[in-house]
Amino acid sequence: MEPVSENIRLLKRAYWLIKLRWIAIVCVGAAIYVSSNFLEIELQDAALYSIAILLALYNLTVLLLLNHFTKRGNEVSHVAVKKIINVQISTDLLILTVLLHFSGGIENPFVFYFIFHMIIASILLSVWDSYLQATFAVLVFGLLVLLEYLQLIPHYCLRGFVPNCLHRNKLYILGTFFVFATAIYLAVYMASYISVRLKRTERAYMQANILLQSKDQIKDEYVLRVTHDIKSHLATIQSCLGMVVNKVVGPLDDKPMEFINRAHVRTIKLTNFVKTLLKLTQMRLNDKLEIDVFPLRDTVRNAVVAVRTKAEDKSITLNCDVEPSVDTISGNQFSIEEVFTNLLLNAIRYTPEKGTVTIGAKNGMDCVVIEIADTGIGIPADELDDVFDEFFRGSNARKFQKDGTGLGLSIAKYIVERHGGKIWIDSIEDTGTKFWITLPKGSRQSQTT
Amino acid sequence: MANAKIMIVDDDPDYIDVVKTILEREQYTVVTAGNKIEGMEKIRAEKPDLAILDVMMNAWQDGFEMSRQLKKDPQFNNMPILMLTAVDNRTGIGFKSTAGDPTWLPVDVFLDKPVEPDVLLSEVKKLLSNKVENGTGI
Repeated sequence: MEPVSENIRLLKRAYWLIKLRWIAIVCVGAAIYVSSNFLEIELQDAALYSIAILLALYNLTVLLLLNHFTKRGNEVSHVAVKKIINVQISTDLLILTVLLHFSGGIENPFVFYFIFHMIIASILLSVWDSYLQATFAVLVFGLLVLLEYLQLIPHYCLRGFVPNCLHRNKLYILGTFFVFATAIYLAVYMASYISVRLKRTERAYMQANILLQSKDQIKDEYVLRVTHDIKSHLATIQSCLGMVVNKVVGPLDDKPMEFINRAHVRTIKLTNFVKTLLKLTQMRLNDKLEIDVFPLRDTVRNAVVAVRTKAEDKSITLNCDVEPSVDTISGNQFSIEEVFTNLLLNAIRYTPEKGTVTIGAKNGMDCVVIEIADTGIGIPADELDDVFDEFFRGSNARKFQKDGTGLGLSIAKYIVERHGGKIWIDSIEDTGTKFWITLPKGSRQSQTT
Repeated sequence: MANAKIMIVDDDPDYIDVVKTILEREQYTVVTAGNKIEGMEKIRAEKPDLAILDVMMNAWQDGFEMSRQLKKDPQFNNMPILMLTAVDNRTGIGFKSTAGDPTWLPVDVFLDKPVEPDVLLSEVKKLLSNKVENGTGI
């Protein structure tokens, strides 16, 4: 999750507030209509509808103001956005009070809708601001009740809902106001309590995320450095030995030459092993894969051409059976070609002389199916589940071919799965092995995953 | 292009000796440097026909930076650059480049260390003959 800056988050919440207000406006309109037309409650329809229209105009103004801020993006300070939210909530409280004034004042049970504003304030604003909003709500509503009680402003009785006007009933107003005020403060206390904890947890997660990203980068650089250091030492050792083995520098007696030869061969093996191991590590660490849409036919052909000499050396028949209609796939062509080449080389390596190795490709439903089959030594049934594990080599494979890193199939599996494909194996010992690969058909544009 | 002058920039003196020996056997004149700064100075002074650069020297992208500087310099932008490295960048899942697009290699040939003497010599020969054909040789 990318950390989002505080001002952008607040802007998004301010928009959420606007959306809520649109819903509220519709509900107010509907409530006025239903109450006066169906429930026969006496209401100041004209005044209430006018307030609803005023509310809509006010919401539109706030929306335009926010759009203006959004265009400035990161330049807007979160303090400015917070101020807008504060003003919005205060205005909402005022408008709700006016609505209540024209619909029965303290007699109207909608008075408890102030609680929603308090919850919203607690989510969006600081604890201090939320309590200020609560105090403002209590004062504004208290003033309305007091002015109506003192008959300094008219009271619009909610006839049809209450049996008689209650705005002069001391016990009722004191009781209701007491419950109202405590409910408001309790709502702020509870919502702020949860909100503060959630914000703290969120901040901790964000900090952990940033820390993880920087650690990841350090790890990547570390692996890259180690990769380079191990490989460059080995490269130099191999090259120095190569100078003697290839007789670039003076001749050497047979016996010392034989040992230098052995050291050279072992260095080449070690270099290859380290290269393969580090490649797997790098692939795991690196999350970027260059993706293109490319024809599978060419990739299969390239792989076949790459291994042909090896097959000929063992008099192995190499068949290539790709359906002419086979589709393009989306992926990294180099990696996919590498998978095919490695699997073909594996097949050739573990197939006795004069055997057959076949690579085929055909269209599946939404994927392309590739099949690589050989008439080789096969894999014992009880070892089939482990063949894709790192460093695993079949017991018969080790006897047949001493060398091998046990990493080739892990890399193949990793690459295929990174492409959203699947790879699995079918094998009978002493008869042959068949690898199946499915790769999603390509329709996407060139992209990086 | 016999007697062509070749510059090797690598922080591994042993590897420099190997490449130098291979090239000198073929009658090339070899100049060497152990880091980017020394390499740039010697290239300016010696004006070689070809440069063989290592990627990771003091900083890991030294070779890339050097090749970029050289390709931007009108005096050297025709000088072929062969890059030798122990870090593989051709897999598409290769190393992360903090120097921008990882596929962007401002070099003429990219070889993975260790390189077989025959392969190195044939690439050197090819690059030098291309240079002569393009009319930019000495």
